[in-house]
Amino acid sequence: MSKPPRRRPFPRSKVCRFCADSALRMDYKEPNILKAFITERGKIIPRRISGNCAKHQRQLTTAIKRARNIALLPFTVPKR
Amino acid sequence: MRRYESVVILHPDMPDEDIRSFTERYSNVIKSNGGEIIKIEDWGFKRLAYLVRKKDRGRYILFDYVGLPALIAELERQLKITEEVMKFISVKLDEDVDLEAFKAAAEEKRAAAKPEPVPVVQVEPEAASAEETAHVEPEAAPAEETAHVEPEAAPAEETAQMEPAAEQEAPESEAIEATATEPEIEEPASAGPEAVEEGEKA
Repeated sequence: MSKPPRRRPFPRSKVCRFCADSALRMDYKEPNILKAFITERGKIIPRRISGNCAKHQRQLTTAIKRARNIALLPFTVPKR
Repeated sequence: MRRYESVVILHPDMPDEDIRSFTERYSNVIKSNGGEIIKIEDWGFKRLAYLVRKKDRGRYILFDYVGLPALIAELERQLKITEEVMKFISVKLDEDVDLEAFKAAAEEKRAAAKPEPVPVVQVEPEAASAEETAHVEPEAAPAEETAHVEPEAAPAEETAQMEPAAEQEAPESEAIEATATEPEIEEPASAGPEAVEEGEKA
């Protein structure tokens, strides 16, 4: 009993936003939706933080990578 | 038959008539290789997320079509050797499309919307963004107008980009806190170095 049970240290959204809202569809042609799932530096936000389910995270990753390919999303955002 | 779509980024300095001939030429490529066009969209000028050939904006054209894999090979070969094409991507949307059934559905849709014998070239996105004006006025004027408005819309997009980014900062900084207080939990610990690095840069 060395570690007392503690609550999760950071709030994570528990539901996948794509499961909760079927109208929200990820598409590599819609950078405005995808932008919610990348960091300021252009990295893809991990599932443990965004709370996406595995299936949607996979789809999201492909969508973001495609969007990067046609210059709708950045690969990296340079340091200011 | 498979359904594909291709997004093509054209050089921003390309005059409108060249774009028209470009879309026509590629429509012919698709048709002559046994494909069928579903729609062609002109998204107008868009700000690029990074420089491509030292340009920060480009003209986006979307082709949506049905065809066989050989068609893609030929289309991409031609896109590669076309000077004005800065970038393109082709995506398979559907593995197995029955062309006849598709045509029939499209025909019905077209009949329901408005009588238009020719596949819509270029007018479509403008019609979507400014439907009312497109319906009231003849095609040329509103198309031009919206095309000019689009670049001005770009800064607005930029601010839109800032907002979600700021939102996303919160969970990350909290992840850092987590590593400080509770290094024994494996998840945040693995996130630690990266999250801290991110924090430093920001």
